[in-house]
Amino acid sequence: MTPISLHNFSIHLGRRTLLRNCDFSVEPESATVIMGPTGAGKSVFLKSIAGILSTQIFTFDGGMKVNGFDAYAGGRKLDFDAWSQIAQSGLVFVPAETAQVMNPSLTLDQNLALLAPGRKTVIEQRLGEYFSLDFSAFARLYPDEVSGGEMQRITLMILLSRSGNLILLDEPTVNLDRNLRKHFVEFLNREILSSKDKTFLMVSHDLDFIKKLTLDQAFMLKDGNIERLASLPEMEGYEKPEAKKGASGTAIELQDVSQTYFKRGIFGERTFTAFKGLNLVFERSTIYGITGPSGCGKSSMIKAILRLMDGTKGRIVMEGSDLVVLKPGETGRDPAAFKPFRRRMTVVQQDSRFSFFPDLSIRDSFRQIAAAGSGGTIEELAANLEKVGLTVSHLDAYPQSLSSGEMKRMDIARALTAKPDILLLDEPFAHIDFETRLHVMEAISEYLAVHATILIVVTHEDFDLRYFVEKSYDFPELVGQFAGE
Amino acid sequence: MKKLSNILRIVFIIVLALPLALAWLPSEVFEGLVPASLTESGYLKSLFLSFRELSITLAATMVFAMLLSVVLGYVSVLSMRTGRGFANILNAIESIPSILVALFCYAPVSGYLARHSSSASTTMSLIVFVLAATVTTLPEAVRSISIPLSDLYNRKYSLSFRSYGFTKQRILAVLMNTGYMRNTLKRVAADVLLKTLVLDCSFGFIIQLGFGSYGTPAHLSPGALIAAHRDALFEGGQPVLFWLPSVLLIIISVAFLIMLNDTREEDE
Repeated sequence: MTPISLHNFSIHLGRRTLLRNCDFSVEPESATVIMGPTGAGKSVFLKSIAGILSTQIFTFDGGMKVNGFDAYAGGRKLDFDAWSQIAQSGLVFVPAETAQVMNPSLTLDQNLALLAPGRKTVIEQRLGEYFSLDFSAFARLYPDEVSGGEMQRITLMILLSRSGNLILLDEPTVNLDRNLRKHFVEFLNREILSSKDKTFLMVSHDLDFIKKLTLDQAFMLKDGNIERLASLPEMEGYEKPEAKKGASGTAIELQDVSQTYFKRGIFGERTFTAFKGLNLVFERSTIYGITGPSGCGKSSMIKAILRLMDGTKGRIVMEGSDLVVLKPGETGRDPAAFKPFRRRMTVVQQDSRFSFFPDLSIRDSFRQIAAAGSGGTIEELAANLEKVGLTVSHLDAYPQSLSSGEMKRMDIARALTAKPDILLLDEPFAHIDFETRLHVMEAISEYLAVHATILIVVTHEDFDLRYFVEKSYDFPELVGQFAGE
Repeated sequence: MKKLSNILRIVFIIVLALPLALAWLPSEVFEGLVPASLTESGYLKSLFLSFRELSITLAATMVFAMLLSVVLGYVSVLSMRTGRGFANILNAIESIPSILVALFCYAPVSGYLARHSSSASTTMSLIVFVLAATVTTLPEAVRSISIPLSDLYNRKYSLSFRSYGFTKQRILAVLMNTGYMRNTLKRVAADVLLKTLVLDCSFGFIIQLGFGSYGTPAHLSPGALIAAHRDALFEGGQPVLFWLPSVLLIIISVAFLIMLNDTREEDE
C-alpha cells in the first residue's frame, strides 16, 4: 500500500494555482522532505494530505489516496466518513503552530489524554530525555500559562508520540531555539527515522535542520511543481551595504532591568520572574542579535522596551528619558508623555499572521494602521513589498489567504514603511526560506544604510547569526541565568 | 454546493423552530386538524398559550442575556481586575442549581403575583423568569465570549496593534466584530436559547407538580402542560396530550442544536 499517491492532483487558491497536475507518491516507511520558497504552497500541500484545507477557500482537481483510501476523487474532497477512515488508518499531522492543537480550556494533562491516549509515559520520558522538561510540572497548567517555547516542545512531543504509520510534519523548527533544535534532530533520527516503521513526510525551509536528518529523498515545490532533488542546495550570503552612522553614543540603555509576570497556578495567581539584572546598551546602526533558549525572556525584553508589560523594574533610558517612568505599566493606552516614543518604535512579532486586521484586506488594514500613527503611505509599502519579494497584488489579499512566510515578509515591509527609529524584530525570518531570507535581510540592511536605526533581532537561527547579525548576545548569560543567580 | 447546503440548513432550522411562530396564529385555525376532544377540553388553547409564552421568554432572554454577556465579556477583557470580580460572582451563581436560582428570584415577588390582576401578574412573572434565566445562562455565556476574546487579544493581536498606537479598547472593539467572534456570539445565543428552553420547561414542570397550576404563577409553560397531563400515558388516558408538547419541544431543541453545530463547522 502506497501511503500517499497523487494522480494529476492540483490545488487552487482562488485564481492562484499552488500545485499543478501533480503525480507524486511516497514509498512506505520512507523519509521524505519537501522544500521550497516561502509561499510556494508547501504547508498547503501537507494540509491537503491531512484533509484540513477548507473547501470554501481552496479548490482541487484530480485525485489523491492516503493510506490506500480515496481522499480526493475527480477534484472533490471526499466526505467526513472517508476522512475518518483515513484518520483511523494511522495519519498523524503535526502543524507548524503546534500550540494551536491544544484546547485552551483543558489542562496540558487533559490535552495529552485527549490527543495521545495511553502514551503519557512515553511522552514524559521523551520530554525529559530530549527537551529537559519535567511534564509533571506543567500537567496542571492551562496552555495560556505556559511560554511559547515550552508549549512548542510539549505539543511537538505529544503529537509525534501518537500512534500512527504516516507522520506529516509541517515546519517543526519555527519556534525551537538552536540548542533544542539539536536535541530535536537527535529525537527524530533516533525515535522516528531510525526504526523505519513509519512513513515520514516533512515540509521545511530550514536547510541546516534538513541536512542533519537521515532522510531518504528530498523534493522541491516551486511554481506549482514538485521536482526531486539530486542533492540538497548550498547556501550563500549577500553583500551588506554599510549602515548609516547616527549620532554617536548610547541610543538606548537598559539599566538593571527585571521583568515579572503573573502566572495562574492551583493556589491562584503567582508572580514569576522572566529575567532580572539586565544591563545592556544598544547603539544605532548596529544589528544586535539576542539568542537563547525558548522561555528565557528574550520576547519579554522586547515587550518591556515597547512598554507593553506590567512588572518592569529598573531603567530603560532613551535620549535621557526613562521609559519605565514615562509608562510604568500596560493599561491599554499610552500616556501623552510616552506617545512620541511609541511612534518611533516598531515591532515585527513572532507570529505575523496577527499583525493585520483579520477581516480586512492588507491594504485596508494598512490604511488604519498608518492612520493610527504608525506612518507611511501605501506607495511606500508597495515599494518595500517588492524588496522583500512580494508584489502589489498581495495588498488586496486577506491575512488568512497568505502563507506564514508571506505574512512575515508583509509585516517586515510594513515595519520598514513606518520608518522607525527603533526596530525590534522577534524571530523575523522564521517561516522564510533561505533564498528569500537573504532578500529580506538585504532590504533591512538597505534601510539601515539610509536611517541610523536601533535594530534588535531576537533569533534562534545560526543562519541569521552568520549572515545578518553584527553583534550577538546570549540572553541567559546577560541576565546571569547560567551563573545560578 | 456549499451555499446550497447552507440554505437548506437555514430552511431546516426555520422549519424546526416554526412551532414557536405558529403558536401566534389563532388556535381556531387548527381546530379542524386535531381531534375534537383537544379543542373541547381547552387543551389546544392552553398549548398555544404556553408556546406563545415560551417564544416571548426565549426572545426576551436571548436579547437581555446576550446584551449583558457581550458587555460583561468585553469589560472583563478590557479590565482584568473587573473581569476577576465578575468571574468570582458568576462562579458563585453557577454553583447554585438553576431551578433554585429561578425559585429564589420568584420569592420577593410572590406576594405581588398573588395580589395583582392576571395581566400585571403575567408581565411581572415573565420579567422575573427572564431575569432568572439570564442569571443562570450568564456565567457560561460571559465565559464563552471573554475566553476567545482574551485569547485573540493577549496571545495574538495585542503586541502588534498596541505597538501601532491603537488603544486596547479599540482593538477589542475591532476583534469583537471579526467573523470568528460573530460565530462565537451565534453559538452563545444558541446556547442561551437551549438552556432557557430547558429551564422554562423544567421549572414549569416542577411548579405544576408542586402547586398544581400551569407553570409559575401566571406564567404558562409547555413543561407545566406536560406535567399536568403526565397521567395521559397511563391506561384510559390520551397519550397525545403528553406527547404533542413533548415532541414540539424536542423539535425546537433540535433547531437550536443544529445552530450550535452549524457555527462550529464555520469555525473549522
